[in-house]
Amino acid sequence: MERELLRQCLAFHGQSLAAVLGSEQSENEHFALIQADLSKAPQQRKDKKVDSSAVEQFIARKADLLFSSSWKSAAPAEEEWSEDTQEPYAIMPPLELFMDVLFEERRDLFYRDVERGDIVVGRINSIRDFGFFITLICTGGGLEREIEDLELTALCPIREVPSNGNHDDPLSYYQVGDLIRAGVKDIDRYHGKVTVSLQPFSLSPSLAKLKLGVISAEDLPLHYSRGLKVASSSSETYEKVLESSLGFSNPSNVEFLLGKLGISETHPPSLMRGLQSKNFCKEDYGTAIKKKQSASWALKCVKIGVDHFKSGRHVEAMNEYNKALEMDADNVEALVARGALYATKGSLVKAMDDFELALKSCPSHRNAKKYLCQTLVERGGQLEEEEKLVTAESLYRKALALDDTFKEAEDALQRLQVHIQKSLKVREEEAAKEQKKSKNVETSAEKLRKILKEEKRMKRKKRRLSSSSSSSSTSSSVSSDDDSSSDGRRKSKKRKRKRRRSSRSRKKRHRRVSSRDKSVGSKEEWYPAPANTSASFINQKQEVARLLDEQSLPDGSGGSQSRRSRPSISSSSLEVMDDSRGRFEDDPFDGAPQQMERGRGKGDGSLVSPGGRESGPRERKWSCGDREVLGAQRKESYSRPREQESPGKTRNKRHSSSSSSVAGPESSHRPESHADGYKRSDSCRYGGGMGESRDRLYPDEQDSRASGDRSQNGMVSSQGSGRKNLPPHLLDIFSQIAQFEKEKLNKAKM
Amino acid sequence: MIKTKNYDKQESAGGRKVESECNADMKTHFRVCRFIMETGVKLGMHSIPVATACALYHRFFQSASLQVYEPHLVAMSAMYLAGKVEEQHLRTRDIINVCHRYLHAGSEPLELDSKFWELRDSVVQCELLVLRQLNFHVSFQHPHKYLLHYLLSVKGIMNRHAWSRTPIAETAWALLKDSYHGPLCVHHPPQHLALAVLYLALHSYGVEVPQGAVEWWQVLCEDITKAEIESIISELLQLYDMEAKCT
Repeated sequence: MERELLRQCLAFHGQSLAAVLGSEQSENEHFALIQADLSKAPQQRKDKKVDSSAVEQFIARKADLLFSSSWKSAAPAEEEWSEDTQEPYAIMPPLELFMDVLFEERRDLFYRDVERGDIVVGRINSIRDFGFFITLICTGGGLEREIEDLELTALCPIREVPSNGNHDDPLSYYQVGDLIRAGVKDIDRYHGKVTVSLQPFSLSPSLAKLKLGVISAEDLPLHYSRGLKVASSSSETYEKVLESSLGFSNPSNVEFLLGKLGISETHPPSLMRGLQSKNFCKEDYGTAIKKKQSASWALKCVKIGVDHFKSGRHVEAMNEYNKALEMDADNVEALVARGALYATKGSLVKAMDDFELALKSCPSHRNAKKYLCQTLVERGGQLEEEEKLVTAESLYRKALALDDTFKEAEDALQRLQVHIQKSLKVREEEAAKEQKKSKNVETSAEKLRKILKEEKRMKRKKRRLSSSSSSSSTSSSVSSDDDSSSDGRRKSKKRKRKRRRSSRSRKKRHRRVSSRDKSVGSKEEWYPAPANTSASFINQKQEVARLLDEQSLPDGSGGSQSRRSRPSISSSSLEVMDDSRGRFEDDPFDGAPQQMERGRGKGDGSLVSPGGRESGPRERKWSCGDREVLGAQRKESYSRPREQESPGKTRNKRHSSSSSSVAGPESSHRPESHADGYKRSDSCRYGGGMGESRDRLYPDEQDSRASGDRSQNGMVSSQGSGRKNLPPHLLDIFSQIAQFEKEKLNKAKM
Repeated sequence: MIKTKNYDKQESAGGRKVESECNADMKTHFRVCRFIMETGVKLGMHSIPVATACALYHRFFQSASLQVYEPHLVAMSAMYLAGKVEEQHLRTRDIINVCHRYLHAGSEPLELDSKFWELRDSVVQCELLVLRQLNFHVSFQHPHKYLLHYLLSVKGIMNRHAWSRTPIAETAWALLKDSYHGPLCVHHPPQHLALAVLYLALHSYGVEVPQGAVEWWQVLCEDITKAEIESIISELLQLYDMEAKCT
């Protein structure tokens, strides 16, 4: 309880109050402490006014509230005073004016209440060399007093006058009769002397914004100008002035004034015992109940939604969840349920968002954690397929961080790490193979030269072949059907494009090759020829290298362990064949890039081979057969390599796939392919040499995976049988190719 | 509370009543106004809308009978209407929630079932009823504005330190708000109420206001007399006494 206040109150009311107070507040321990003090204070009132006992009793009863120390904390902080040009509330003339407070009293009051830093407005009445004197007209800032007729004079010494120029006499700026706004610097209450200043720092901080110095009549405070009006006419009462002022009709003046006076609206004061807002329970407040209620209503919606979800009505379920989240945006159950629905529908990212939001509000929600882990792993899997390995890894780690007992996440993470390592390894391998290739290139080039020399004898046949270069192109395309079938399903357009390109380039290459019979070192020039990206080109190199490593079969089947190598080999062999001049210089590496392209997309390309050949339909069928066989064999490994073989895919992918295909399924596929190849080739066989030979070739290609010798033999035998039906020049070519391949393999073995 | 049906009652609810009935009614009104004010705080209503709600309530029951109309429902509708009039719109959902919890302490929030919709319907219907009963005169001149300006004027004439150490403004404001427990607001003009409240506040603390030719309160409100001030004060004090009896 506020001691001073009580004292003041008692002094005002006198003894009777003290007595009542004592009786009413007997339980109040605070009062007991102060009571002793109070009894010492003067109890005699200045002017005895009859005080109703009811009031006294009221005061006494409510003393603990009236005099509680908690009032003090509600006092507003001193805000910056600004002379409002607009009226947020009605600015009234000083009450003194209305009250007709006596001259003496007003003067006394003024001197009592004015303080340093206050603002006064006056008119200069004389200028001396030590300063100037002003007659105070009115007060400014927060103080509102009627002082004009008091004719108080204040001095503004010269040092308090800011100078306008360096050499000017500051006082020359001022004239008698100027209206000056100044800050009070010093008050001598006893003598009634006031010293003012024009320096800005003489003002108290809350008034600091006001401009000191000469002002005009418009700048006079509103309360003063209004006061003048009131003084002039007697009909102006306070009420009239109040109600006629604009600020009174401002609808928000209550709010403004409450702020100015420091009264709170959120914890409103009351003298009723029951309305002490600090006693109110927080849960009873409207906002708290609403939140609880929204949560409960939302939960109901979620339950209905889950029912829908379980019966498969996903749309209705989503509607219910959204309704629930509208009611209560942070509802954990609704978020989890909606996340689960998103995950089921496949919008994994949205599902993850919902789960994370749910976990934010409730980090220990079991289902949210579980579902989030599952979704993360699933999404990681998706990303892995898209080859965003790093992101996938981070997701797996996140899932593990959430729930380290989640087995799937661990497995997936390990798999991914293996994957990454493999891809790195493959890259290294490829880099190594590139180097190897460059070596091998030379040796095989030499071989080619030898073969070419032999071939020169059989120029005529080759010429015939060259005339039917189109057919050879088809045959090459046929041989490359296997690879086309591998990825063929997707890339018909690409195949066509490639085929055209490749056929064009091949024709070009014929000429080029012929010109470079014996050039060894010019291999590098051939490489850039294909329209492929360098990546695919390099891959082809690698494939070929692998070819050499693995004793690929002759006759273009190419012991391609990966599908890639197979097509390349086959294409290369065919290419060799096509370059009917026996220019085996056109080594498989050359052929590889182009034929890779060709091979890749060639399933349908073969159908569109220029100039319909009889081989066409055969090829078609054959390619179908190829496709079937291939498809049977390698669905798994195809999925990835297929993607990878498409041009423009990154080398990494190819390498990784190749590595995987090399590592894993290959061995398993080999016997399978072997067996299947034979079967299918039989079924696909038809009359017509090419078709048949192709059939033979096809199983041979697959045999290439099998042990080299066995396949070779098979190849040879099949070739032999096939040869009967082939035109003689073709047979020659095939045999040469076979030979060439054999040599290559031997070399590779070495 | 024992209600006896008699003709006096039905004649005019504002007319002659039996003393005991009067007291009983006053107690009811007191309780219901307490209900309004407490829920107003819990709903975050500002002082003026709460004052409007109480004024609507008192005005309504000046011409209506407590026997016919359920006072709590009227109070809820008055709050809803007051929110609209004073531009602090309230949702019926919130009003129903808080009032329900007030009347059934510690209960769970209501479910969105038919009972809830019925409650809401009744509030809305009653609102229309209140409007009609009051002939659609639902805007009031409240004493709050006057009080605040009076406070400023008195503050201007006082020593600033004396002012800052005495919680005159808060006390006056509290007194004014508490006065709405009774029908003071409809029996007296707003300026008188404001003045009386301020007078009481200053008087309670023993604050001396400078004297002039005219008393400060006379200046603020020309047509009031000391006696009127004192009668208002005594009515107000009776309300405080009633608190002990009613709650």
